[in-house]
Amino acid sequence: MTKYVIRRLLGIIPTLLVIITISFFIVRVAPGGPFDGERALPEVIKKNIEAKYHFDDPLVVQYGRYMFDVLRGDLGPSYRYKDHDVNFYIFQSLPNSMILGVIAISISIIFGISSGMLAAVKQNTWVDYLGMAFAIIGISVPLFVIGPILQYIFAMRLGWFPTSGWITGDNGWITVILPAVTLSASNFGTIARLTRSSMLETLRSDYIRTAKAKGMRSSVILFKHAMKGAMLPIVSYLGPAFAGIITGSVVVEQVFRVPGLGKFFVQSSFNRDYTLIVGVVIVYSVILVFMNFIVDIVYSLLDPRITYK
Amino acid sequence: MIFKKKNNTAAINEFNQEIAGNSLTKDAWRRLRKNKMAVISLVVVIIYILLAVLAPILPIYPYDEIILDHQHLPPSFTKNAGELLMEKRLADLYTQAWRQGNLELTEEEDDMLWEWIDSNEVNKVWDYMYEKGNAMVAEGSYTLSSYEQRRIDSLEEDIRTELQITLKDVWYRADSGSERVKLTSLDTDEILAAYAQLVNISAEDQKTQYMKEIEQQVLREIKERTPDLSDEEYEILLNQEFNDMSESRLNTLIRSNVLVKLNNAIRSVGLRNLKDAAEDGTMEFPLEEEISISETISATIKASKVHERQYYLGTDYQGRDMLSRIIYGGQVSIAIGFVGTITSVLIGIILGALAGYLGGKVDYIIMRIVDIMYGLPYMLLVIIAMAIFGRNILNLFFALAIISWLTVSRMVRGQIMSLKNQEFIEAARSMGAPTRRIIFKHLVPNSLSVIIVFSTLRIPSFIMTESFLSFLGLGVQAPFASWGSLVGDGVTGMTLYPWKLFFPALVMTIFLFAMNFLGDGLRDAFDPQSKNQL
Repeated sequence: MTKYVIRRLLGIIPTLLVIITISFFIVRVAPGGPFDGERALPEVIKKNIEAKYHFDDPLVVQYGRYMFDVLRGDLGPSYRYKDHDVNFYIFQSLPNSMILGVIAISISIIFGISSGMLAAVKQNTWVDYLGMAFAIIGISVPLFVIGPILQYIFAMRLGWFPTSGWITGDNGWITVILPAVTLSASNFGTIARLTRSSMLETLRSDYIRTAKAKGMRSSVILFKHAMKGAMLPIVSYLGPAFAGIITGSVVVEQVFRVPGLGKFFVQSSFNRDYTLIVGVVIVYSVILVFMNFIVDIVYSLLDPRITYK
Repeated sequence: MIFKKKNNTAAINEFNQEIAGNSLTKDAWRRLRKNKMAVISLVVVIIYILLAVLAPILPIYPYDEIILDHQHLPPSFTKNAGELLMEKRLADLYTQAWRQGNLELTEEEDDMLWEWIDSNEVNKVWDYMYEKGNAMVAEGSYTLSSYEQRRIDSLEEDIRTELQITLKDVWYRADSGSERVKLTSLDTDEILAAYAQLVNISAEDQKTQYMKEIEQQVLREIKERTPDLSDEEYEILLNQEFNDMSESRLNTLIRSNVLVKLNNAIRSVGLRNLKDAAEDGTMEFPLEEEISISETISATIKASKVHERQYYLGTDYQGRDMLSRIIYGGQVSIAIGFVGTITSVLIGIILGALAGYLGGKVDYIIMRIVDIMYGLPYMLLVIIAMAIFGRNILNLFFALAIISWLTVSRMVRGQIMSLKNQEFIEAARSMGAPTRRIIFKHLVPNSLSVIIVFSTLRIPSFIMTESFLSFLGLGVQAPFASWGSLVGDGVTGMTLYPWKLFFPALVMTIFLFAMNFLGDGLRDAFDPQSKNQL
């Protein structure tokens, strides 16, 4: 097991290197640069700026220097926002995105699993149909439709929530609810459906029948025996779920004006702020890759059938 | 054998009933038909596809026709644009009169209106003021001032007389004796000559003028392509471009320029001719007639009153018809969904089949690539790529196709690995069939049903991804539309103009629902485990 963990940890390194390399080169081969404003700069000034940021070096040298900096944890200066470097902006906005993401994934896991289990236990009743209707809405309706419509109904028409803003503003924690619900919708749907189908399968299996025959209480059967077996597909879905949360947060942060990393990301892509883009991608990738790693470990702990050499 | 034995006598069982063969597809189709939701979804999907394909011949307004007077008109089945404009004008005038204190309301009404204004619900204020004002004018408790009356009259005049002219055909007749021909069938020099005659500028002078204009156009294109060069470099590039440009390309450029000018001239002549008729109401609109512009040129034009247009789903911020934008947006979204899925499935099949059948090193390399790409936050890379390489449909499509073959290839690989050791493959191999033939004639067709089911489930997610990017402003650009960009446009100003958000969102949601139900239905129908259960 320890060996497996170490091997998986080592496997993360090439993935991260590939990500950094790809994003570095994508932004460099593109036409146009961060210093192309409305007005063309005089040659000398342009040369000076390029020299300051080492743009005049060969691309390979730039790449090597950048890699070295990143390994030391320095993501470089931002080309657009002159006051601080990329690290500053990322550390400023990352906590907001993290709070949003953690709340959203918790909502989708808690509600997804409970409604999926309820639907499986009460199969073919109105509870089942209602839960699955919500699930399919969550899956089919894109979050950039859900977000504005929730905003329209609950914030503008009913006035229950503020339309936008963040915890740090005047309204406090209530501002998190709408964006988090929006962000959790699609994962909620998938988790609910996965739970229902795997729960149905588990409830029909032999070991559950044995437990029933032994006369155990149905709540014990459900939560102790069936749930553990039925959780496996859900755990393995969590990897893609995290990826979905990260991409989704780009839109949700835009719609609800959350001062998070996602908003930075779109803006800096438009500005061609190379280091900021690559920095955000690296941060996202590290989160994603580590989440996948944790999911794999949890999966192997849950499923005794899997052995690792 | 001389006579081929005809094999049309069906096999008969012991009860004298025909025995029909039962293939997997047939079986699946039978099961699909029993699934009510799937059938409804199939019908919905077919209707959507028909609408998207037939969009050019449907009786809808062009999706990119901008009529600035018709900004943000609400959807209406009964009222045309003119009536809506008049309502808007009246509501506006009454509200202004109320704000200035000329139109007096009770205190409760004042409070109510202010409350609406405070809570940003200006629409309600306008609606209320329109009703109230009309009632008050009717009972005589409020009289319109002369200024207000003038504003109303001038709008009425505009609604009655403003025309919109579209050219159907332009004809050219060299002299009175000869047959008339379509102007577009002439060559460029003849068109130039004809236009020269019309505006009294010699063809030579015109040509030099067009050359200048084309130079400007080309320069603009170059500047868009490569934004960061000095003036000298631009000049060099421009000269290069002109040297490279073939004679025929230059010719078409000149031709399109002169045609645009000619059409504008004809349109203004038509407008002048028909304006009076529209004013005294002697003519019925819409009409289609032939007018002569000069001795040599005549044109068939269609004229209709602008403000008689009907917008069933309202208009957007540039007065474009939402109905046709949604239909054309659907065309783009659905096309990207289908074509993108097909491309990614093709890539996935080829790589997955190679990996699965050949195994060994090929398998290892392909699967490692897939593994690493799975770890990438690919949506983020697509966002970067779209932001940097320019936002057009082609780039979007490539970016999506490149990242979405991963799952297909894994699935195909799994299928092929389970099939490749079966007897029929061994038989083919022992008969000396080449690898390519085994893969594409035996293995791939046998795993096709799984692939088809999977593709159906891919289409909605493809459409969602495309719309996601368009929503962020990174996908389809105006004047083109896709459902995502329409929703994105609708989000701005959704309190005042909710129809701009709701209709595209609704249309898109229904389609995605239908695709998901259909995919689920297909999966249930094709799933061999559920076979013979129904």
